[in-house]
Amino acid sequence: MVISITQEDFDVNAMIQSRKAPEVGGLVSFVGIVRDDGITKIELEAFEEAALEELNLIKDEAFEKYPLMSVDIIHRIGMLNVGDNLLLILVAAGHRKEAFDGCEYILERIKETVQIWKKEFTEDGERWVPGEHH
Amino acid sequence: MIITIKAFARFREILGSETAEEVPEGITLAGLLEQIADRNPKIKTALYEDDSTLRRYVILMQNKKRVNKEDVQTIVLSEGDEIAIYPPVAGG
Repeated sequence: MVISITQEDFDVNAMIQSRKAPEVGGLVSFVGIVRDDGITKIELEAFEEAALEELNLIKDEAFEKYPLMSVDIIHRIGMLNVGDNLLLILVAAGHRKEAFDGCEYILERIKETVQIWKKEFTEDGERWVPGEHH
Repeated sequence: MIITIKAFARFREILGSETAEEVPEGITLAGLLEQIADRNPKIKTALYEDDSTLRRYVILMQNKKRVNKEDVQTIVLSEGDEIAIYPPVAGG
């Protein structure tokens, strides 16, 4: 299983292929991509050591809550353009419901606590994307 | 003694990403924040409301463990502690 924060892009199909196993009945992937909110580019910054610890904690929580086979989380940082891959969550389970539920749980937890920030660049300047959770 | 301060996002832009801060023995976390705020009005505005309470969106970690705001006045820092300062996260 891969839990990483990286500047490198990821290959969704290769990841899916590598997680197929006889007992896996469903793989749910969430691919977050950079949306065009009137931006020219976006920069992601992380407190890497803390964010990695947090991602591993979230993975462990997901395994405790749902009967999952595998969990992979890759969060990109650095300068990205509209349409670039930003986040991959890949969850394998025996059945669809736990795979969907596990994937959604992980995504919502990432948005709550993982120490990553986004700065958007526009034609007029730059702005930090406000976080929702305190 | 020396405390390491790490700052992220809008706080990094004001404080720098990592600084070593010389502080007196026995200083509290609140004392450390006041020390850096006293040096720079921009930091003071970023950290504190007009009534000198910490802004709601300031998040603090001591050695990568989240600090409860109500404990800021009582946490006594030790040599080599790492304090992280950051705003609400926006990943995903």
